[in-house]
Amino acid sequence: MAEMWITMGPQHPMTHGLWTLRVKVDGETVTDTEAELGYIHRGVEKICEARDFTQITPYCDRLCYVSAMTWAHSYIMAAEDLLEAEVPERAEYIRLMAAEVQRLASHLMWLGAFGPDIGNLTLMTWCLRDREMFLDLLQELGGSRMHYNYPRVGGVKRDIPIGWANRLKAKVKLFENRIKEYEMLLDESTIWLVRLQGVGYATAEDQIDAGVTGPNIRAAGVNTDARWTNPYSVYDQVDWEPAVEKPTSVKGADCYDRYRVRMEEMRQSCRMLLDAIEKIPGGANTHYQPGDEMLITKAPTRAPEGATGFSTYECTRGVSNFYIQGGGDGRGKNPYRVSIRSPMFITIPYVAKTMIGYKVADIPAIMGSFDPCIGETDR
Amino acid sequence: MGMTITQKQNSEAANAAVENLNERFSDSGVSSEVVAHSAGKKQEFVRITCSPDQWRAVAKHLKHELGVNHCAMVTGTHYPSGNDERGWEVAYHMHRWPIHNVEAHTMTVYTGEKLKGDDIPMEFEIFIPLPAGDSPSVPSIQDIWEGADWNEKETWDLVGIDFEGHVNMHRVLNPHDSPTGFHPLQRQHKIRYHDFNEMYDDPQGFGRKPVDEGRIK
Repeated sequence: MAEMWITMGPQHPMTHGLWTLRVKVDGETVTDTEAELGYIHRGVEKICEARDFTQITPYCDRLCYVSAMTWAHSYIMAAEDLLEAEVPERAEYIRLMAAEVQRLASHLMWLGAFGPDIGNLTLMTWCLRDREMFLDLLQELGGSRMHYNYPRVGGVKRDIPIGWANRLKAKVKLFENRIKEYEMLLDESTIWLVRLQGVGYATAEDQIDAGVTGPNIRAAGVNTDARWTNPYSVYDQVDWEPAVEKPTSVKGADCYDRYRVRMEEMRQSCRMLLDAIEKIPGGANTHYQPGDEMLITKAPTRAPEGATGFSTYECTRGVSNFYIQGGGDGRGKNPYRVSIRSPMFITIPYVAKTMIGYKVADIPAIMGSFDPCIGETDR
Repeated sequence: MGMTITQKQNSEAANAAVENLNERFSDSGVSSEVVAHSAGKKQEFVRITCSPDQWRAVAKHLKHELGVNHCAMVTGTHYPSGNDERGWEVAYHMHRWPIHNVEAHTMTVYTGEKLKGDDIPMEFEIFIPLPAGDSPSVPSIQDIWEGADWNEKETWDLVGIDFEGHVNMHRVLNPHDSPTGFHPLQRQHKIRYHDFNEMYDDPQGFGRKPVDEGRIK
């Protein structure tokens, strides 16, 4: 039978955003693929050259619209490296909790979107219900529902509100039980297992060579996680261990392993949150005024020419990097160059190639299991 | 308690890598040094400066001798007032992480504090300064790390650095029909930035003129 090219996207339920997957098929079998990106390229790197270091934070929030907090922190860590700012310990704890709540919200959005891909519509409503709990918590910190503009160079914008700790504890404990409910719904579902098991194999070494990081690589049996390999914040002081899954084949992890590892990662985030709220210096039910030395230290606003800042941060979808050069316009008030490494920009072309050899019907399962996000891909 | 990489492990690994590089590339103009981050945990990393001619040899050495397995990002920078030493610069950022394949139904759980030798995670920053001119170019390392492929595509697309030997180079973020030679992160392209007066005096923008009017576009 003659081979032909099919275009999936930019408007296709599988794409989880605006991008195109061109698939060459022979009957039902995928024989070649090509990813086309760039539909929502906004030129964030160029815009950043005309903004000062505080003004850049909201742009970084918008890099990934379901994981704003982690991206803003990733940027702010590079800016702190450039400007040589110290962060108070209480602020580090608040940042850790903010990022982990965001990780829960982001993984819930992934699971919610992945369910309909596989044919489980209940999952979407359940996940969005629970995600709302965590968005409410983040809203109390940042003031808006999805884009928080929360971290600042040298600390955070404001303290956790009175009672936030109790609400966090109640919600996390409720959510730990909800994870069990999800597992009862999914792991007992024949459709879920049949569509996920045995498709989309990827080994650890192949993935790291192609630049794939984060939960996708931990599903393949190694516990490498930037939160301990490139230590930052106070992850060494709270109770957690990296989620890792045993791959079910010599060919590496399949879609089911990648689903399992994210469920485990949500559990670890819960564990981390419950521990951090006990250990936070200054007490969880104290409220310091914005600008207090417990929350933020004074940092320079200008960076000299030749100074560079670099951060390695475990975002929800993999490792994100920022590289900033100082000495831009306004006598160093703006950066000269901001470069962003998005994990998904590298992962999507890799995933497109792993689909070769599987059936057309497996494409949504394989693509969805890698958790694509086009906001950060196209920047 | 969460695990971590201790300062001692980090510092020893960085120094060992620099020693190894200096031994191998002692007389070929490749300089490497240990640098510490100035924020957070003040982790140390390896910074290498090399010429484009040396780059592929250095890259192969990093991959096969020092176990660098992750090519994280490629950054091109344009210095319009630059000279023959540095008119452009390409910065590669790489990581070494303990990642090895596992057997089916098994997993490898590393403990940060117990890692030794080439398994200790390390960051590498490679600067390749290029002379000023219209055609900056470095050798591609697409065949050494698969992950460099799309990073290099992006750098060519946005900054206009040419990667010699890169197979299947095409636009990735800009529209596919962008004019030849249009690379928006080059410095002659100014960002349009409307100021507040303009917004209040002429909210609909009928009289607005681009700030880069008359300049090269």
